[in-house]
Amino acid sequence: MITGKALARRTFLRGIGTTIALPFLDAMTPAMAATTAKAPVRMGFVYVPNGMDVRNWNLDYEGKLGELSRIMKPLEPFKDDILVLGNLTHNNGRALLDGPGDHGRCCGAYLTGMQPRKTMVDIKAGISCDQIVANHIGNKTRFPSLELGLEDARQAGDCDSGYSCAYTNNLAWRSETQPLPPVLDPRALFERLFGNGVALSPEARALQSKYRRSILDFVTGDTKKLETNLGPTDKRKLEEYLSSVREIERQLEKAEKDNAQIDPKMPKPYGVPADFAEHFKLMTDMLTIALQADLTRVFTFLVTREGTSRAYRELGIPDGHHPLTHHQNKPELMEKVSQINTYHVKQFAGWIEKLKSIQEGDGSLFDNSMIVYGAGLTDGNKHNHEDLPTVLVGHGGNNFIKTGRRIVYRKETPMSNLFLSMMDRMDVHSENFGDSTGRLDGLDLS
Amino acid sequence: MQFPGQGKPPVGILFDSDMGSSIDGALALALLYGFDGKNEARVISVSVSRANLSSAAFCEAVGRFYAGAVNGGFGGVGRTLPVGLADYGKEREETPMLSVPLAKMTPDGKPLYAHGIHKLNDTAEVPALIRNAFTSQYDQNSIAILAGPATNYAKALDVAGFKELAARKCRFLAMTGGAFPDGRPEYNIQTDIPAARKLFAEWPTPIVVSGSEIGEALAFPAASIERDFAWSPAHPVVDAYKAYRPMPYDAPSGDMSAVLYAVHSQEGYFKLSEPGTITVLDDGRTKFTPSAQGKHRYLILDPAQKDRIIKIYTEIASAKPVPRVPRFRLKELKEKEEKEKLLKEKEIPVPPSEVKPPAAP
Repeated sequence: MITGKALARRTFLRGIGTTIALPFLDAMTPAMAATTAKAPVRMGFVYVPNGMDVRNWNLDYEGKLGELSRIMKPLEPFKDDILVLGNLTHNNGRALLDGPGDHGRCCGAYLTGMQPRKTMVDIKAGISCDQIVANHIGNKTRFPSLELGLEDARQAGDCDSGYSCAYTNNLAWRSETQPLPPVLDPRALFERLFGNGVALSPEARALQSKYRRSILDFVTGDTKKLETNLGPTDKRKLEEYLSSVREIERQLEKAEKDNAQIDPKMPKPYGVPADFAEHFKLMTDMLTIALQADLTRVFTFLVTREGTSRAYRELGIPDGHHPLTHHQNKPELMEKVSQINTYHVKQFAGWIEKLKSIQEGDGSLFDNSMIVYGAGLTDGNKHNHEDLPTVLVGHGGNNFIKTGRRIVYRKETPMSNLFLSMMDRMDVHSENFGDSTGRLDGLDLS
Repeated sequence: MQFPGQGKPPVGILFDSDMGSSIDGALALALLYGFDGKNEARVISVSVSRANLSSAAFCEAVGRFYAGAVNGGFGGVGRTLPVGLADYGKEREETPMLSVPLAKMTPDGKPLYAHGIHKLNDTAEVPALIRNAFTSQYDQNSIAILAGPATNYAKALDVAGFKELAARKCRFLAMTGGAFPDGRPEYNIQTDIPAARKLFAEWPTPIVVSGSEIGEALAFPAASIERDFAWSPAHPVVDAYKAYRPMPYDAPSGDMSAVLYAVHSQEGYFKLSEPGTITVLDDGRTKFTPSAQGKHRYLILDPAQKDRIIKIYTEIASAKPVPRVPRFRLKELKEKEEKEKLLKEKEIPVPPSEVKPPAAP
């Protein structure tokens, strides 16, 4: 409900079956406190599978970022806003007497910092750092955390040499035995963000879409009331925001229409775009809305599952990703791996651009975020777990993170040390996390 | 890295030293790699408490000399073990026993003893390195050796869960330090008294100490350097030995005694004291208090074993490097290949090439 001169942060536009949270508006800041108001800090993790072609990932220098490597090239426009971190290690991704199964182990260990139990039945890893944070600050937002992905996320069966698919297909672990499967279907995510929580069957959705209006139509009344209390800047912000929501709706409708034309019986979720890049964009557009509207401050995004054999025909690569990474140093296969790695970074860079475009207080949504883009394996051909490809983007709010650099830590420095430092930034303080040996030095200006 | 289904591998050894402070550290490392080559032990961690890059660089150069680039460890097959280096405390000075061998070049201008340590982040964070080394071992199939001040192991004790892990994985700690039974001050203890106290108080396994009287009584013969190592036209330990003091000289071998006891504790090279508790006094003296429940013992030299000990020192430390037969996951890989029909030979690391001694300068 919209009342008063200082707008409540938790103001919603409501309509039948619809709840739209609002972005951070100037009107939400009391005039006297304008200079001290702070947008929340967001923390997220974007995970890409099967390691990297490290030849084309690694940089051969430290300090201020200069020319980026081929795979990181799409991040070139944002290199002042990123930290490239070297030598971070996940010891618990290593075999440690458990034999083969690096894909299962590395993903299960990635955010938990723990050694996953080699099993297909009684799974066990550890509580992931995103969920530790969500447990502490999740009550401040509608969703304690969001878990997103772009690929099949079956939770049972053997996905790598005796490791349950629960390890390869999830990043977030609510407890040491309970992973949180990612949402893959954009329509399901849309309804979760803006709907009343009731999932519709594909048939029901199709019927509804025939008569459906935009959800914005249902909140017209609230929107008009709100606008009377907003200044010109906020009105523009609101208009842009609602346009983003409408654009997502259009993308969803297009995907659903395309899917119906391609094969009405296709097994994948009804609203999943056939095109990888479109799917990525649609999910991150909605994630952006969720962060912008403070629906959540914590997220994980499993771009594709660890060990995936997804083909990238849009790049002219019919081979599966995982088999390609076992390239035996054949140049033609390594080239394809590099192309896939670069393609992923390109999608991520597109999202960064979007986050930077959203004003929030004196900065942007991007400035108030810290997002790890990384892999749980270093080189998919070697299956190693040291010097993991890791980029930390965003400033963590209030220019906390000093970006634009490459920092190479000492060998064996636990990745868990980075996560422990990020937890600190979210005001969640713990003596240790996973296999941490301390905090990670050098991230901030202090 | 140890894999199941192939029987227990040889005992894994963690070696922490103040490499560069005295020549017996280099001799001890040579002895350890000699045992490694005979498959009687496996080096799983090398770390240095002497804060100088050359100390770590020398250790890596010796490791590469003996094991080539195939030392698996937990770093993975085909990777050289990272060397841990203390980055706490004041930086220590260069010393000829390190700088001379490291400065030697081949005729074409390359380092005679190759290593990859040129800056601090070429070395490993010590507490993580030591902890990670234990995680890769079967229970009770590793032994920690301390051939220097207790600085690094004391730091490791502060890592969450380390004590429980060490208690599970480690049989005992073999160290040089102190003097027994008289307790006179000794360098390793005096250099970091708080760390020594912490180690004796908190290390979770039995500790066996080789006092300075052992090393002094068992001098490593200079003649062996000239004779037994002659098979190699260039040897990093020989160059270190010759640079440490003017030749010929016999060197105290305290650190070697810790290695020998660790690898062959059951073979009667040394006698053991009764159990007790070692405490460290303010001036660096050690005090041994007998106690049936004590976890500490010290080595006692049996004069009858002296020649036998010197013989094994010289034979093993001067042994030629042996190409390691990798114990890696051939069987498991084959199973995986059959299952996925994708990998075939793709994950099998290239077998180690024969390790050749560096060419003469």
